[in-house]
Amino acid sequence: MLLAVLASLLLFLMDARLDIFKPVRSALATAVYPIQSLASMPTNFTDWISDMLQDREDLRERITKLEAQALTQKVRMQRMQALERENMRLRELLGSSFRLQERVQIAELLSVDLDPFYQHVIIDKGKQFGVYEGQPVLDSRGVMGQVAEVSQFSSRVVLLTDPSHAIPVQVVRNGLRAVVTGRGLGEPLQVEYLPHNADIRVGDWLVTSGLGGRFPVGYPVGQVTSVTYPPGKAFAEISVKPAAQLSTSRELMLVLPGEKIDFSLKIPPVDLIPKPATDTPLMLQEALLPETTESPNPQDEQPAAESTPSDGN
Amino acid sequence: MAINSRSQQTWVIYVTLLIAIVLMILPLPDLLRQARPEFVVMTLIYWAMALPQRVSIGVAWFTGLVMDITTGVQMGVHAFAYAMAIYLVARFHLQLRQYPLWQQAFTILSLVFLVHLVSMLNASMTSSWHIWMPAVVSTLLWPFVYAVLRKIRRNFQVS
Repeated sequence: MLLAVLASLLLFLMDARLDIFKPVRSALATAVYPIQSLASMPTNFTDWISDMLQDREDLRERITKLEAQALTQKVRMQRMQALERENMRLRELLGSSFRLQERVQIAELLSVDLDPFYQHVIIDKGKQFGVYEGQPVLDSRGVMGQVAEVSQFSSRVVLLTDPSHAIPVQVVRNGLRAVVTGRGLGEPLQVEYLPHNADIRVGDWLVTSGLGGRFPVGYPVGQVTSVTYPPGKAFAEISVKPAAQLSTSRELMLVLPGEKIDFSLKIPPVDLIPKPATDTPLMLQEALLPETTESPNPQDEQPAAESTPSDGN
Repeated sequence: MAINSRSQQTWVIYVTLLIAIVLMILPLPDLLRQARPEFVVMTLIYWAMALPQRVSIGVAWFTGLVMDITTGVQMGVHAFAYAMAIYLVARFHLQLRQYPLWQQAFTILSLVFLVHLVSMLNASMTSSWHIWMPAVVSTLLWPFVYAVLRKIRRNFQVS
């Protein structure tokens, strides 16, 4: 018994204090991966069965629905790309560098229940796919959490709702920065350390602020559901409903590093093509303005009208 | 032959422990998650009671370590809790064997509660009555687990 107590205490200390212990832990986690995949087998099996039992009609319906969805999303993506390019150009004008797009990798949840007091999940990608500690994890709607521990074939992800997790955010409406922490299973997230007079309202969207350098900028974290000001307390109590579907998402995305788009390198080639096309007629028009007041292109009408008084003076 | 059959018998113990660990991480609906009985503790207690020379603090500690890694909590938490519970069982296994089943079940209640409390020391979130759920459910399930494990022990003649 004494031996067991001593060994446990030694393990506590080693696990908590020593960084050298991490590879050991990761190796052990690899060793228990078979147990975890064994536990997720029943769910996978029932999924497989329900896949097999789907009839043709259902599948056809789903395909049509998904195709329609893909089409609308493609259209939206085109607009997004145009906006992104515009945004990049504007930011370039301001001289600020900015990370635009992250590459993501799809991972699947291993359906394993861990301790209900920790909000952790296991995913089926590990070191062999280059997953690293602290890697941000998203689902289709927002931020889910970050990778806490990596083993060879799997990794453990801490969800936003874990009491030990905090994420830097900002309010979309006014850019107010704050920190959101988890409060455990089934509880809403909480915005910490905002004074009573902070400008935050019910319905405000919170996105990642990118401060701290761990999460990429601008991914939705959640929406404010209630704001109360308990008298006698220094900070407001603000509850946030997570944007990600933490309990139902099966597929999630790991954000890959090293995809910083450098503006000075990438923008000119993208920009050079449209710029002469839009700029030359505009310059021509300014030059020709005294003679021709009518612009042929409705898009160019605005700058043309603006330049009229300056040229007139 | 004798060595071969003996190794096979201990193998049965480890298989039941493995099944218990798998049952501990099997996905359940959110409502039942909080009430998951401590299968591993119950299995360990049974074996420690029936065969104290085979399953004792060492095995319990090692099983706890496997649990720590599978559930991803700080290392040594489950190991410590299991070793403590099995220490008590090993100490009093002769008395425990004499108890009627319902009285054993109450021993399980206290032991599981103890284990659960220790393994939760690290978790910051606790809501009051949820703490009792695993212990109570384990107690209710004890006669069933006991019967199943006894059946296994007799079938495979583990000794």
